Amino acid sequence: MAAKLELQRVQILCSCNARSPITQLYFCKHCLKIRCGKCVSHEVDSHYCPNCLENMPSAEAKSKKNRCGNCLDCPSCQHTLSHRATSVAVPDPRDPTKTTTKKAYYLACGLCRWSSRDAGMPDKDSASGPWLEPENAGARRITDLSDYYHQLAKQEKMEREHKKFTRRRAYFRLQEKYLSPGAPGRRRSSALLSSFTGLALKDEQATIIPVEPAVASEEVDALPNKILTQPVVLEKICTIRQRLQHPDHHCVSVEQMYPRHKHLLIKRSQRCRECEHNLSKPEFNPSSIKFKIQLVAIQHIPDVRIFLVPNLHYGKESIVTLIISNPNEKRMSIRFDGSNPKECEDTHATAQVIPPEDELMLGPKDPTAEFDDSTADIQYDAYNDNTEYVQFRKAHKLGVLFKVIPQRATDNVVVVFTLKYKYKNTAPALNSSQDETSSPAAVWLEHEVTVDIGPLVSE
Amino acid sequence: MELQDSFYIKAEYIETASGNKVSKQSVLCGSQNIVLNGKSIIHSECIIRGDLANVRIGRHCVISSRTVVRPPFKKFSKGVAFFPLHIGDHVFIDEDCIVNAAQVGSYVHIGKNCVIGRRCVLKDCCAIADNTYLAPETVVPPFTVVSGNPGAVSGELPECTQELMVDVTRGYYQHFLPIQEAK
Repeated sequence: MAAKLELQRVQILCSCNARSPITQLYFCKHCLKIRCGKCVSHEVDSHYCPNCLENMPSAEAKSKKNRCGNCLDCPSCQHTLSHRATSVAVPDPRDPTKTTTKKAYYLACGLCRWSSRDAGMPDKDSASGPWLEPENAGARRITDLSDYYHQLAKQEKMEREHKKFTRRRAYFRLQEKYLSPGAPGRRRSSALLSSFTGLALKDEQATIIPVEPAVASEEVDALPNKILTQPVVLEKICTIRQRLQHPDHHCVSVEQMYPRHKHLLIKRSQRCRECEHNLSKPEFNPSSIKFKIQLVAIQHIPDVRIFLVPNLHYGKESIVTLIISNPNEKRMSIRFDGSNPKECEDTHATAQVIPPEDELMLGPKDPTAEFDDSTADIQYDAYNDNTEYVQFRKAHKLGVLFKVIPQRATDNVVVVFTLKYKYKNTAPALNSSQDETSSPAAVWLEHEVTVDIGPLVSE
Repeated sequence: MELQDSFYIKAEYIETASGNKVSKQSVLCGSQNIVLNGKSIIHSECIIRGDLANVRIGRHCVISSRTVVRPPFKKFSKGVAFFPLHIGDHVFIDEDCIVNAAQVGSYVHIGKNCVIGRRCVLKDCCAIADNTYLAPETVVPPFTVVSGNPGAVSGELPECTQELMVDVTRGYYQHFLPIQEAK
């Protein structure tokens, strides 16, 4: 939807000096700074399956290799497989001459018509329960190697901690060595001592079981003769994509394809790196779109949008209308600071912009306005708008006139200006209420806005 | 870029008491089974198959030209059954789509020329890119973008998707203005 509004044409400078559209930004109301996806820390809140939308604790997700236990992907087209029930005729156990019907379940793809019967997988008697999966020939070796790696990592970590510990607490160590157990020193460092005994025990246990190293061999099996003699049946050979879906058994022909468990998705929360407050925290339920904490920029800082652009000519002054909208339910004062690309070197602006010099006032945003049909009779006269700068005013939106003089004959016309706004934290933090007055003071904040107005009109 | 005004000839659209604007060039089969909750726009040459099952469309939805909205069916051992189709609020469906979904959540954007297969479930705040074919019975989780054939998750949406969708659909309705036909 951002494409429809062309929001990427207005970019805001983040506190980390990266430019992004307002939709990608957060506003930390504790530091009063703009943050973007690159300068916040991302945390994984929960894992969930995109098909059954069920949550999975991170430990379980790890043990299941980030895949859902129930949902399977088609090995041929990667669409989700569905269970199909059918009845098959089986000989009656009591009377072998007669046949009875029995329910059988198999997997089928609704898109490419692949089914588990194609792969020679036996049907199941019950609708639930796991499917038989092919054993990975290298599974044993992989677990051995990963266990070995874990042991090494553990030992290294222990050594590192040991070193840190001994350097800092050399005195206690000596004391422990020479003092008899039960001496006052014991009490003081009992926790320390227990940690040492733990370490010592671990040291004894950590005799690493060596793993047989892999041996490279120069001899490779010769190509089987049938490769040269049998014609290639292209429809029986897996595509690269299908093969890479199964790195463990690397299917070559379509008969060897087996369904894969569906990959999990994650819900993330964002945290400000400076004050470590949460900027966005989604609700736990995977199908919920609500947030426990949501400090997105669009709800806190004024939004700038392009409204009317006349024909732009090189070196000639034109008047461009931008809409500034207020995200708050209170009035907001704004000011502008223009720039000239000729004056400052390190800007990518291609045009000089002359914004209004006066302080302008944005009207309050009224969320109930949609349900009220009598919106026309709002008193706009009270704002005393200067028609030199203000083209129109509608609810919380203000059409502001900017004079733009393109300075470069090529490229799009890009203007850079600073938007200053009086920000009032309407929901102050709980702990700050004691030492500060009940109503938080409004502060002037500013950020740089880059607007890509569009191409020049060729003469 | 703020949305620009788009004009329609007043005689070509029917406006209901709750503010729905339905083109006279669209086909609403079984209109007693179709519920529009208000301020929704249905453009010309759309087909909504209310004769198959109930179709409920929420507030501030836009269904663009030549789109077909058709309740999904499921095959049973004894014939087929049609299921009702629910579309949430602030849903924008672009031109030339075929929507066979079982459920479309709120704040959803479906791009141009898409096919949403039988009994798909589109959760709230998701987007379908242009020219996507969504295979039958696909689930699209919130805050994901789906594209390709068959549709697969290819990106994610920002946290403020809800605000953006409300802004776009509301803006679209406000800028969709009638003009009298010039005689």
